[in-house]
Amino acid sequence: MSPAAEFRNVTKVYRRRFLGQEVAALTDVSFEVQAGEVCAFLGPNGAGKTTSISILMGFLYPDAGEVRVLGYEPGDVRAKSQIGFLPENFAFYKYLNAEKLLRFHCALAGRDNGNSGELILELLRKVRLEEYKTLKIGKYSRGMVQRLGIAQALIGDPKLLILDEPTSGLDPAGRKEVRDLIVSLRAAGNTIFLSSHILSEIEQVCDRAIIVDRGKLVRAGTMEELLTPSGRVEILVNQLSPEMESEVMAWSGAVERGAHGVKLTVDITRKREAIEKLWAANCDVISLTPIRGSLEELFLNLVGGDGGGA
Amino acid sequence: MKIWAIATNTFAGFLRDRLLIVVFIILLGIVLLLMSPMLAYKAVTTAANAAQMQALVLSEVAAIMSFLSGCGSFFAALAAATAVAAEMKSGTIQAVMARPVKRWQFLAGKYLSVMMLMLCYVVLMLGMSYLLAWMGGERIQSAPWLLILYPMARYAIYAALGILFVTFMHTAVAFGMVFLVAVLTTLLAPTAPLGGHLAPWVHTALYSVLPSTGLLSEDRFLSITSANLHPVSWLDHVATLAYGFDYALVCLLLAMWSFHYRTLRRE
Repeated sequence: MSPAAEFRNVTKVYRRRFLGQEVAALTDVSFEVQAGEVCAFLGPNGAGKTTSISILMGFLYPDAGEVRVLGYEPGDVRAKSQIGFLPENFAFYKYLNAEKLLRFHCALAGRDNGNSGELILELLRKVRLEEYKTLKIGKYSRGMVQRLGIAQALIGDPKLLILDEPTSGLDPAGRKEVRDLIVSLRAAGNTIFLSSHILSEIEQVCDRAIIVDRGKLVRAGTMEELLTPSGRVEILVNQLSPEMESEVMAWSGAVERGAHGVKLTVDITRKREAIEKLWAANCDVISLTPIRGSLEELFLNLVGGDGGGA
Repeated sequence: MKIWAIATNTFAGFLRDRLLIVVFIILLGIVLLLMSPMLAYKAVTTAANAAQMQALVLSEVAAIMSFLSGCGSFFAALAAATAVAAEMKSGTIQAVMARPVKRWQFLAGKYLSVMMLMLCYVVLMLGMSYLLAWMGGERIQSAPWLLILYPMARYAIYAALGILFVTFMHTAVAFGMVFLVAVLTTLLAPTAPLGGHLAPWVHTALYSVLPSTGLLSEDRFLSITSANLHPVSWLDHVATLAYGFDYALVCLLLAMWSFHYRTLRRE
């Protein structure tokens, strides 16, 4: 199966003609987004994410390299007819209401206006804006605008969804809805390429991640590849005797007492031994979880933690 | 359908655009101010000075109409430039161009919306012409379609120039360029004095490149001061109008070519 999006040795330099300045936004960047996967695009501010997305959408032309989207050149209407796009800070016409904006986008997508009414209502229902469909968008809150942006991106049942900060401005419930939507779209076979600052969300919904920094690709891989096991396990018990605690500490483990029990961290090779001893000491083992490195840790290690987010 | 959707949406935006509304209100205010001496002339007209007053009234009507007609050119350029630039500034262009819309379709939609706006302007101007001529005690004898098509051809040129310049420069600079073109066009007209101060080849080159909007003036066939019609054949009308729309088309095609290569970033 051909990739949904493909960057091959892409370079983009911004030039300020009169000042003679050059800024390399992307340098020899190559990656692929496979069809049917949810792929995260991460990097600190100024890493080249928006430039890459703009090139993918045909808004910018690369200086070197090759880009293909759904098998076509970026900006090709055959590709764009299968893409749903949510830009960062979705901009809108203040004088329109949600229904009219979606009708406008339906017309641009080549959908017959006569049949678009039902689709528009369904989309508004999906993003919980049905009640506000006649309210001018200029009066919407930021979260409502973002939800409307997501609704317009879903017009035309796109094969590839490119979402730039889809949960930006949303409350926790709204963020969960977007996550659920992404999961349901993946289940339906859609490909999703998204950038987000909220790395915990990326971990929950993405199959793969691509990390860029200062215009260069620093890491790409599946979540399993990126989040390697740490070689330690976390054991949650209801109680822990002082003798047992000193024994755990002797294994170079760690003990953390909390409201819901006592959390022990031990080397994975001592897992069985630790559990048997805990049972023997009449401790109730509530859970045992292998510890994986978090995406945030990986991200901060790769980009040095000076970027101020993804 | 896509071009029409962009055009109608932009037209709806024009009707709510504060800058255009302010410009329109200022225009209207100036016209009302210009009308006051005309009404004063009418009020003091007696049997003794009737002919003299009539001439004054008609010259006032002619001045108002050429003012309105000239302002229309800048109004067209301003509307065209802001129609494209506003989308770039607000970032709405990204959501639009993410749809299966070609770049030339986007510009064609914008251009169509400007022409719709200018048609409304021309119809208003035509109504004003008839009203003022009636107030001046004359009747405009020209066919209305000529009084619509001639200014529309001029506005088509200025709108296309506005769109062309804004595809590669800032709105204010683009508008300034249109203004410069209009001034140069006036100064380089065959009857204008500047031609004699320039090297012949510079004059010829500029005259060939700049639009001959004087050719597209209603003055060619209508002199409102005497409400007379000059004899102009229909073939001459067709050739002149074809020149105007052809010039506009060339500018628009150049704008589409330029827009094809420009980056669509939020500004």
